[in-house]
Amino acid sequence: MIAEIGHFALILALLVAAVQLTVPLVGAGRGDPVLMSVDRPSAIALFLLVSFSFGALIWLHVTSDFSVLNVVEYSHTDKPLLYKITGVWGSHEGSMMLWTFILVLYGLAVSIFGGNLPPGLRARVLSVQGMIAFAFLLFILLTSNPFIRVDPAPLNGNGLNPLLQDPGLAFHPPFLYLGYVGFSMAFSFAIAALLEGRVDAAWARWVRPWTLVAWCALTLGVAMGSWWSYYTLGWGGYWAWDPVENASFMPWLAGTALLHSAIVVEKRDSMKSWTIFLAIITFSLSLLGTFLVRSGILTSVHSFAVDPRRGTFILGLLITVTGGSLVLYALRAPALKAGGLFTPISREGGLLFNNIVLSIAAATVLLGTLYPLLADALNLGKVSVGPPYFNLVITPLLVPLILVMAIGPLLSWKRGNLAAAMAKLRFSLAVMVVTIVATLWATGLSSRGLLAACGVGLAAWLFFGTLSEWTSRIGLFQRSWNDAFHRALHLPRAAYGMTISHLGLAVVLLGVTGSLAWRTEYLQVMHPGESAQVAGYQLKFLGTEDGIQGPNYVSTRATFIVTREGRYITDLQPERRMFANPPQPLSTVAIHTNLISDLYVVLGDPAEKGGFVIHIYHNPLIPVLFLGALLLVLGGVVSLTDRHHRVGAPLRRALARIQPQPAAATAAAAAMAVLPTGPKPSRSWVYRVPVLAFVGLAGIFVYRLYLAEEGFTPDLIPSVLINRAAPAFDLPPLFDGKPGLKTADLRGKVTLVNFFASWCAPCREEHPVLSQITKAGIILVGINYKDRPQDATAWLTELGNPYNLIATDFKGSAGIDFGVYGVPESYLIDKQGVIRFKQTGPLTPDDIKNKLIPLAEKLNK
Amino acid sequence: MKHGRSIPLATAILTLLLFVGGTAGPAWAIRPDEVLANPVLEARARAIGSELRCLVCQNESIDDSDADLAHDLRLLVRQRLLAGDSDEQVKQYMVSRYGTYVLLKPPFNLDTVFLWLGPLGFLVCAAGAAAVFYRRSALLPQEATQFSADEKRRLAALTGEDSTKTGGT
Repeated sequence: MIAEIGHFALILALLVAAVQLTVPLVGAGRGDPVLMSVDRPSAIALFLLVSFSFGALIWLHVTSDFSVLNVVEYSHTDKPLLYKITGVWGSHEGSMMLWTFILVLYGLAVSIFGGNLPPGLRARVLSVQGMIAFAFLLFILLTSNPFIRVDPAPLNGNGLNPLLQDPGLAFHPPFLYLGYVGFSMAFSFAIAALLEGRVDAAWARWVRPWTLVAWCALTLGVAMGSWWSYYTLGWGGYWAWDPVENASFMPWLAGTALLHSAIVVEKRDSMKSWTIFLAIITFSLSLLGTFLVRSGILTSVHSFAVDPRRGTFILGLLITVTGGSLVLYALRAPALKAGGLFTPISREGGLLFNNIVLSIAAATVLLGTLYPLLADALNLGKVSVGPPYFNLVITPLLVPLILVMAIGPLLSWKRGNLAAAMAKLRFSLAVMVVTIVATLWATGLSSRGLLAACGVGLAAWLFFGTLSEWTSRIGLFQRSWNDAFHRALHLPRAAYGMTISHLGLAVVLLGVTGSLAWRTEYLQVMHPGESAQVAGYQLKFLGTEDGIQGPNYVSTRATFIVTREGRYITDLQPERRMFANPPQPLSTVAIHTNLISDLYVVLGDPAEKGGFVIHIYHNPLIPVLFLGALLLVLGGVVSLTDRHHRVGAPLRRALARIQPQPAAATAAAAAMAVLPTGPKPSRSWVYRVPVLAFVGLAGIFVYRLYLAEEGFTPDLIPSVLINRAAPAFDLPPLFDGKPGLKTADLRGKVTLVNFFASWCAPCREEHPVLSQITKAGIILVGINYKDRPQDATAWLTELGNPYNLIATDFKGSAGIDFGVYGVPESYLIDKQGVIRFKQTGPLTPDDIKNKLIPLAEKLNK
Repeated sequence: MKHGRSIPLATAILTLLLFVGGTAGPAWAIRPDEVLANPVLEARARAIGSELRCLVCQNESIDDSDADLAHDLRLLVRQRLLAGDSDEQVKQYMVSRYGTYVLLKPPFNLDTVFLWLGPLGFLVCAAGAAAVFYRRSALLPQEATQFSADEKRRLAALTGEDSTKTGGT
């Protein structure tokens, strides 16, 4: 019953969203206050309906209602209550509910706090929000309904992946989505401004707090995800440049740029169309992230429910939202009046520089993430773009960014004095030089030493440069202590926000550098009683204890006594847990931190004689890195409490009351029409570039999704060995007494070499069709890959032996020479011993009839 | 202070993490019996391993992957190093079997020309756009960027201090 009511509330919400997206927009277009005033009540109703529906879903999970499919698939009665709740967003359906819930929460916030917004602007903003909500509700109802029942209801559910049963990951999605979805506010304001044809300081003042909220949440969400991967995945890494991680990093970069450019709009009435563009791009990148995770067009470690049908819907959404808004932008942005001028050496100049670097970084991450797709679509072959690429291209961008970050805030608006700013930075410069020299001296002149020196030097420069800006602002060392103290108290919170966040980035930089440059590793099989020396610590392995009962797992726990110079520090107890539902193992890391460095112990596989593989890391400055991220968020929060964000923009409010938005005379149709008045804008083609670029990108996505629906798997790697001589090998026979197999044996006849193993399920599937190959007159050679001979013999006895010759590749070395990465794989080799065709995965009767046999006939001529 | 599974929720929520950087394959999947006795060779093996893709995994290097094939390839990298191959030769050995797809840092060639020149292209475009922006700004009539003597006097009177020190907000 609850499920049905929840479902019904969702349908009602869709209808309310339909009202919210049309009526206020029409009202704003006509200047009709009655129609416009529908915006707030409908946003509230939408919130109530969606939160009721979301609450119903949580309730179903908490009460373990296994008549609901979503609960069956992701829950289990023995799961602790916390993970019953957070497991709701562990599924695709539930996470989309969370997404929509947060979206309508922001809508509610606009209707509550938006009292000082001009009615026309608020109507348009909420209308755009309604449009997004409508699309996502439709998406949930059509493709991802979480309320579907199952009949008969099973007695229990499948449970949640143990990796997700973790506090760090439990709260990672809500913050991430608060960030992603929060950027929809800036987006809605941008669209509303384009419709109104006006962007001014008041507009920026409304947009900034929303952007700040979203930015803080996204920073926290990304940080939590990173932290989670640090302490659960067992290798101490925190960022792997995985497509899904990049999907959250791109909106972060664009959002950070937006945060800074909105300052210029607010203070100087400049960079307006650029800020609008950034708002569109930031939210579009959030949507892109949502799309990439769910569509299956990119392979990633943590992909969600991969379903091309859902991918198609979200792609449609992405094209509508991004494409539509970029078209609107191309039409309306040229008419936005340019504002205050400034020279490159000025506060605005510094902020513009920040925007340029962050945009290049975002574009580069986008390029690297999507390049494998682009290469495929443009037939450039399979390309891997991994961490080494990103580290190489992103790191150089950081250097100028950090350098300018210390200088920019010291410059005055419009036209700054670089010499005066640099004079204030003399101390930071000195510290930077000293730390670079000291680090090089301590670490040695190696590439690692240079990296460490650069990182620490830049961190010092930024840290002390930011402090210098603060001291010069309050006149410390220039005025009396009393005066400086007084000034420090009265500095706006926004200024403190900037200082804290910039300090935070310096700290983060130090943490990253430390973790890269000074990490030490210990890897051994340890037996009880043995000790390890790691970075000045002594860890004595006491042994393991089996069968420790957790709430929904059984664990093996190792105990280490950690001492330093004979002094007891702590016990560390890493575990290996076996979860019952679903039956999955999970290694739990033990960490000792002194807030400067972490001692990180992983209990690995059991080894011979009661030993265990033990991995110990000493991770210097990793806790500092977390602290820095915390400071980043704290800076944002402090800035958010600034008075001027609460006060709003009284002047425009007063104006708005007098004349209800004259620029709004044209309704939604105006979106498609070029502005009738105003001077003919020059260079309007520039504004069309984004649309064109997006059309190209969307085309590639459509093509790729089409391929996915056709059953094309993106993982197949074409062999480089096609049209090359088969690799040399000399393998023993599988059956004793029969001849072995050498490369020379393949000469003179068309042969199919088939790699198989008894442990491989697809091989069993392929086995019956292999007899067709020998029937067609092709010699069939089997290579038994990494298999025990007795298993292979039993397998062939059971299923029959279709092979003319069988050799065994026990170690898999011939497999590697052939480029085998997953059995079964088959290679068609011509009379001269040249590979002409490769099949990865099982051969089907169609493959044999349509590809193999015709090719073999041609080769036999 | 002990971490591990017993992290209190508040700590979990408050503790954070970061965005830039990235690590060069800390190699958690490596087993003790794979490690070479010679630390210099082992360091080279790690550097190479972190740049080779585990072909059966998704975006993981062979050093990061538990997969059987990754284990075999790690051993192979070490074998080749022991046989005296240079780093480049080891990578080439892999490429000749699995194609350039095995390299996490793709080589610069016709297929990857956009990938490698893209960031440079973005830089040129952005620099060009900024140059045009500043040039156009310079062509527009300038507002007064300096205080007049009269304004300076009034400012000094208002703030009660030396008005030559401006800058900052």
